[in-house]
Amino acid sequence: METNILYTHKSLVEESKLGDRNAQYKLYELYVDAMYNVSMRMMHVKEDAEDVVQDSFIEAFNNLSSFRYESTFGSWLKRIVINKSINQLKKKKIPIVPIENQMYHIKEDTEDIPPEVDIRKIISGIRLLPSGYQQIINLYLVEGYDHIEISEILGITSSTSKSQYHRAKKKLVEIVKTL
Amino acid sequence: MDNFEKYIKENKALFDVHKADKNKLWANIESGLNKPESKTKTIKLWHTPLFKVAATIVIALGLFSLINVLVVNNINTNSLNSLAEQELNDIDSHYKGLVAYQVKLVNKSTQLSSEEKKEFLSFMVELDLEYELLKVELQKNVDSERVLEAIVINYKKRIELIENLLQQLNSSKKLDNDDVYTL
Repeated sequence: METNILYTHKSLVEESKLGDRNAQYKLYELYVDAMYNVSMRMMHVKEDAEDVVQDSFIEAFNNLSSFRYESTFGSWLKRIVINKSINQLKKKKIPIVPIENQMYHIKEDTEDIPPEVDIRKIISGIRLLPSGYQQIINLYLVEGYDHIEISEILGITSSTSKSQYHRAKKKLVEIVKTL
Repeated sequence: MDNFEKYIKENKALFDVHKADKNKLWANIESGLNKPESKTKTIKLWHTPLFKVAATIVIALGLFSLINVLVVNNINTNSLNSLAEQELNDIDSHYKGLVAYQVKLVNKSTQLSSEEKKEFLSFMVELDLEYELLKVELQKNVDSERVLEAIVINYKKRIELIENLLQQLNSSKKLDNDDVYTL
């Protein structure tokens, strides 16, 4: 099964490798919305997100020969989008890593988990988090990366990723409860 | 994973709230893409360094073997020809002397009429012609060993003929002498 998933859209990918514009457009159509949303969650600004998506597709198609089905095309592309977003945020000097707050110790006791809240509340709750917390929540909860992958993307240790994620989540729960 | 995390992961799709401006983005993407290659991807073998090396080796080997064949052949035929010629010279110098000596003896012989001498010598002329033919044959370099053998046989035949003739002459002389004695 797993190998079948890896070869999703294989024929389109192979045709795109040869520079077939139609195949490239079909792949673009399939993935553009998902990639745009990934970028929007990171960048928040429409123009910035669009720039990232455009650059990511151009880079992906121009370097498609280096794609060897080690992951799905979608996750390969998403990683490009994420990396480009992080680079853009760095350029804008927006903190991508959660601020270390040594003074504030979180009690690791059971959290007060709200009953099934409206997803829209969670989305706006994430937007209210400090930007460093937003990235880690997005990467872990929404994009589905594990802490090792996040440590690679953000250039931090996986233990930092873990501890910061727990802080971010606690903060998010607090915010969501007030909404 | 707690319920909160589970809840979010299960509803991931709901986080995709934005719609991209497809056409606008594609226009910008298309202008940044590499020019499409020809559909059938041509692999230019002659551009790879390995191919260049292989081609050089093949050409060098080809030239070498060509030169080798030409030169060695030349040397071989030369040495073969010169060998055959040397052997012919040896044969000639050995047998020519013998034949000349015996022809002289025949000519000197007083017991033979000029007719008989002529007839005998015409045989010798025939054998001479054969000898010339064999000599030409030797130049053609067909099978020099066999040709040389034939030349030797040719010489031997002449000598044999002359010897026979001389023997007959001698024996008739003896007979004559005997007759004289008996008389």
